[in-house]
Amino acid sequence: MIDNLQIVLELKDVAVHFGGRAGLLGSSGAVVKAVNGVDLEIRKAETVALVGESGCGKSTLSNTIVGLQAPVSGSVKIGGDEVVGADRRKLNDIRRKVQMIFQDPALSLNPRSTIGATIAEPLIVRGIARGKALKDRVAELLTQVGLRPEHADRYPHQFSGGQRQRVVIARALALEPDLLICDEPVSALDVSVRAQILNLLVALQQRMGVAYLFVSHDLSVVRHICDRVVVMYLGRFVEMADRDTFFANPKHPYTRALMSAVPEADPIAQRSKQRFILQGELPSPANIPSGCAFHTRCPLATEICSKVRPELTPRPDGASVACHHV
Amino acid sequence: MEIHPRPLLSVEGLTVEIAGANVVDGISFSVAPGKVMALVGESGCGKSLTCYAMLGLLPPAARRSGGHIRLDDRDLTALSQRDMRKTRGKDISIIFQEPSASLDPLTTVGAQIAAAYRTHHNVPRAEAHARARRMLADVGIPDPDRRFHQYPFELSGGMCQRIMISIALICSPRVLVADEPTTALDVTIQAQILDLMKKLVAERGTSIVIITHDMGVVADIADDVAVMYAGRIAEIAPVQTLFEKPQHPYTALLLASIPKLSDAPKADLATIEGRVPTPNEFGAGCRFADRCPLATEKCRAEQPPLFDRGGGHRSACWHIDRMAEIREVAA
Repeated sequence: MIDNLQIVLELKDVAVHFGGRAGLLGSSGAVVKAVNGVDLEIRKAETVALVGESGCGKSTLSNTIVGLQAPVSGSVKIGGDEVVGADRRKLNDIRRKVQMIFQDPALSLNPRSTIGATIAEPLIVRGIARGKALKDRVAELLTQVGLRPEHADRYPHQFSGGQRQRVVIARALALEPDLLICDEPVSALDVSVRAQILNLLVALQQRMGVAYLFVSHDLSVVRHICDRVVVMYLGRFVEMADRDTFFANPKHPYTRALMSAVPEADPIAQRSKQRFILQGELPSPANIPSGCAFHTRCPLATEICSKVRPELTPRPDGASVACHHV
Repeated sequence: MEIHPRPLLSVEGLTVEIAGANVVDGISFSVAPGKVMALVGESGCGKSLTCYAMLGLLPPAARRSGGHIRLDDRDLTALSQRDMRKTRGKDISIIFQEPSASLDPLTTVGAQIAAAYRTHHNVPRAEAHARARRMLADVGIPDPDRRFHQYPFELSGGMCQRIMISIALICSPRVLVADEPTTALDVTIQAQILDLMKKLVAERGTSIVIITHDMGVVADIADDVAVMYAGRIAEIAPVQTLFEKPQHPYTALLLASIPKLSDAPKADLATIEGRVPTPNEFGAGCRFADRCPLATEKCRAEQPPLFDRGGGHRSACWHIDRMAEIREVAA
């Protein structure tokens, strides 16, 4: 089936829990259900945004996808290969196909390595290139991300934040991954530099067909760069839709609250928009509310919400929403 | 034309020097009572140093080498350290980006708020505590009597920022300086804190100087905006005017680089090539000249003054007759 070849990531009912065992002093810790049964498919050259507040499980899910965190149940397939339960060698193979870039490029680069050495490292580790071929490949990668081949001899501190993020992207692309997990890749950057990196990510995708899982809370960036949006709340997806449907007709009350919370860079629109401000804060993932986890902050909540957990169900316009009252 | 009341706070020709370079270079602005002034700009533009200078809190390496800061009729720059200490927290307060880093981890939050009050008022402890409790309720902390006795680590980031705001406002200062107050917070919590700040302005008539790099926050809360670039004000205007008719190429490009509803998905965003000059690269002319699509010889040779564009709008550019070209570049 051709369709299957196009799928670079497939998550089925993935759950990741922490703790629960007896602690050091014999206390039994609460189980933190960081990710609690999520399904997701990402196709080649597609950008899927993962949106949610800190503590919603975004980072745990990203770590699980690259095999840094084992799920307690469910299946994670990258390019058709199962990550869960894979042995070291197999995992190594799979990991080539998925790479990550992080929020703060200064923290993701070794200050004592030249950026040439940093970008070459994955190629050396995997025995892909050496000598002249290695040098050429590094030069090519630098050019691809808008830097110059002669930059290879410089150190991270000699670059600006935006340039460092370009270096991180070059390193992530060295092994030609099918999927790049971008964890808030532009939120530490200044506004004018942000646009450069977003343009670069779009151009690289068009050229190389790489898929992105784009973790972000900035909805204007999400709207700009993503094909589909997934909203996560306390370990579960509460809404999933393609971009146009999502922004034209957000359905879940949490999604609507997020959208009204993000300030628009337009004073008239911002001050006239209907506000939907959430009360309170995200409950602890160690103590997830019963029924719909959002019912404690939801303005639409009724009795059923605290008792029955709504499933993610498809709607006529193609969106999937987990809410009793949509 | 709207008649502006007499400014409460005015910064006049403020210059801050670090190692011989003017990292804040003669900036001036004023804030009327109950108004919100936003200072925006990219990292290193001098917006934070400007605020620290206003409170007499410059780091040791930095020195105010010129200019005045007036609060009503008083020149804060003429005050002794001792008098400045009496003013800080009472007439002008500050909150920072990372609330958990600004609170004392070993003291209950209630005691920290009460201590701020007792620093400036000679009252019995019980009275200060009662005021602190009321303050907690005013900033929207649920169950203030229980929270009063908790330590910062027991509170979330959003709650800690509310505590910081309580400490800053317990003496009812007339000016609150907020240095990126919501940058470390989630968007839903950011919305709550911005609403709280708006409520305080409305109820108490506090003036706010807010530093941010988020044009969305500016659009939400500011009455006036000063856009800073490399230590100077590039443009200053009422908020709506700035967003609608920017009169400086830097502002126009900055606004164009933010993805907007009307943009086609994945279309190229406008970018500003190059980077902000470091203080030792500052030349004689306009500091934006090297990155500016409109720059001419004149720009490199001669610093443009802040020209008055009418209606409280000023911008430092020689070539605003060519702003249409910027709109083309941005489109």
